[in-house]
Amino acid sequence: MKFWGILLLLPSLLWAQPEFYGYFESEASTMQLGTSNYNFGFNKFRLDIEARPNDHVQIGANINIQHYWGKTTWNFFDFIPGYAGTGMVLNVDLPDTLLLDNVYMKLSFQLFDFTVGRQQISPGVGYAWNPTDIFNSKSLLDPSYEQTGVEALRIDLPLNDRSSLIAIVQPEEHLDYSTQQYIFKSGLGSFDFSFTGSIQERVDYDAPILGDMFAKKRTMYGASTVGELFGWGLWGEVGYNVLEMDLPPHSSSMYVDDRKCTEYIIGADHTFDNSLYFLAEYLHNGFGTAKKEDLFLTDYFAALGGASHSLMQDYAFFYAMHPTFDYVTLSAIVFANFNDNSGAFSPIVDWSVFEDTNLSLQGSVYWGEDDTEFGLQDWGLILNVTSSF
Amino acid sequence: MKIKFVSILLLGSSIAFSQAPTGTEIIDQVTNIMSPENSYSKGTQTIITSSGKERVFEFESWAAEKGKSSLTRYTKPAAIRGQAFLMLNNADDIWSYFPRTKRVRKLASHAKKQKMQGSDFTYEDMGGGDVFQKKFRSTLIAEETRDGEQVWKVEMIGIPDQEPPYPKIILWARQSDYFPVALDYYNEKDFNTKSLIMSDIQVIEDYPTAMTMVMTDNKERSSTTMRTLEITYAWEPSKSFFSERNLKK
Repeated sequence: MKFWGILLLLPSLLWAQPEFYGYFESEASTMQLGTSNYNFGFNKFRLDIEARPNDHVQIGANINIQHYWGKTTWNFFDFIPGYAGTGMVLNVDLPDTLLLDNVYMKLSFQLFDFTVGRQQISPGVGYAWNPTDIFNSKSLLDPSYEQTGVEALRIDLPLNDRSSLIAIVQPEEHLDYSTQQYIFKSGLGSFDFSFTGSIQERVDYDAPILGDMFAKKRTMYGASTVGELFGWGLWGEVGYNVLEMDLPPHSSSMYVDDRKCTEYIIGADHTFDNSLYFLAEYLHNGFGTAKKEDLFLTDYFAALGGASHSLMQDYAFFYAMHPTFDYVTLSAIVFANFNDNSGAFSPIVDWSVFEDTNLSLQGSVYWGEDDTEFGLQDWGLILNVTSSF
Repeated sequence: MKIKFVSILLLGSSIAFSQAPTGTEIIDQVTNIMSPENSYSKGTQTIITSSGKERVFEFESWAAEKGKSSLTRYTKPAAIRGQAFLMLNNADDIWSYFPRTKRVRKLASHAKKQKMQGSDFTYEDMGGGDVFQKKFRSTLIAEETRDGEQVWKVEMIGIPDQEPPYPKIILWARQSDYFPVALDYYNEKDFNTKSLIMSDIQVIEDYPTAMTMVMTDNKERSSTTMRTLEITYAWEPSKSFFSERNLKK
């Protein structure tokens, strides 16, 4: 899929008088993890190429060149309470990359759009978490950061001005293993809503998503809504998952039941008359465990690897932002894990230095016991400069 | 004889007053002249902050149903290139599109009061349609001369249960064609928070059009100038133009 997509689309791009744009991003971070302090960061250059040979065809691609510096090899066990400092090692390297992140072609027919290639797919209405998103997971320190592309075929079929049907297939080497997602979107009054159905095969082959058990197939039925009530923006998103389980290796059992998990979020936001924007979101993730004592190593693999949206069950996320001075925005993020009583407070200063250049400084202070999800870390600082062209 | 002359003067002014349109009639005419069925335009938005810093944005904008539906897409600067806003039902429903994440987000109506890209215009200010007719009670309070033109001065008081965008607006409209040349926006404390001046008014395809609009924030001491670079009222929207599908193009 990767190679035929590139071979098919790149020549078309170059022949169609493309537009070039993108950004340069440089980030420097420091982090206190237990008794150790680490410095690390990256320099990233993203070049977007977009061509529209005619009104019906859009071809796009972006190339990311990313160089990491400072600490570029991380021990997975340093991030797992109870394992940090035990001498166990599972190193994860961050190699410099030259990545064709997205490369796609969108064909607009009278009745539908067809997009083929590696493309960003971001289903759901949640800000920090999206229970109906089976393709991505987000960083709580920057939930609005771009997602990496997904190899997919996508059809958008508008039914009327506010209703549409979306079909997404992420093809694999065998058709039976392909991930499929179907979304019906519509609106009623000031509310938009959607219903989602998806099938994800061979879930465990990438990362196990439930404890020490292995899921061979995940079926998800989801729904979401977004609108407003009493002047507040409100949204909700739910995914009901049925996991066909496989027996764990070396198991003496002959049979294992399906597992059923519900994951949902509810959220609200408001802009006050003094321009203060406030957002709050709550997540309940049935994939996670309610007690930290019940966590398995595979739970951490699933959460850190992005296969599940959170490690444990109950979380809250708050975001407040105020355009305080000319081109200077002050904001803060707070997130908390209610199951192990850990969390983080992260204030951010964002300065639009020049028309296309932003400088931000983000701090983070973590609370909780040393054996909790966020309490494991002490503090962090991120300096980021991004210049678009 | 003197008494008779004064009586004639009083009678004359009474006749003149009775011939003047009412505030409601003026606002009806203003709404009519400001609401061409469809439009497509390209423009710039120059923000000058209170500290004198200047930022220039460029955008394309499409409107239909007399401004009830609109779509605005920013083309410059690079940092926000492709960001787009779809407004339906006179900006009661707003969707935003962020090309970097390819995500469409529905904004609650409080977002209407947010500044568009940090400018002195809110999303609500950009909404057209019959907001002035439906959400305000209008009274003609004076006839004045403004920049050499005879104008009507109309006081518009927001109807509370209609959720007006501002509690009060004072509007000046040219007597010659009812085109509004200035608006003062007031808050609950009857403070004139913002002022809009329309100038360089040209007749384009039979519609008087302000090629320059300057909104001044009287509290922040900042201003935003919207300049129309290109406009046509002959544009016809295709079916489902004002949809999420088109927002993402």
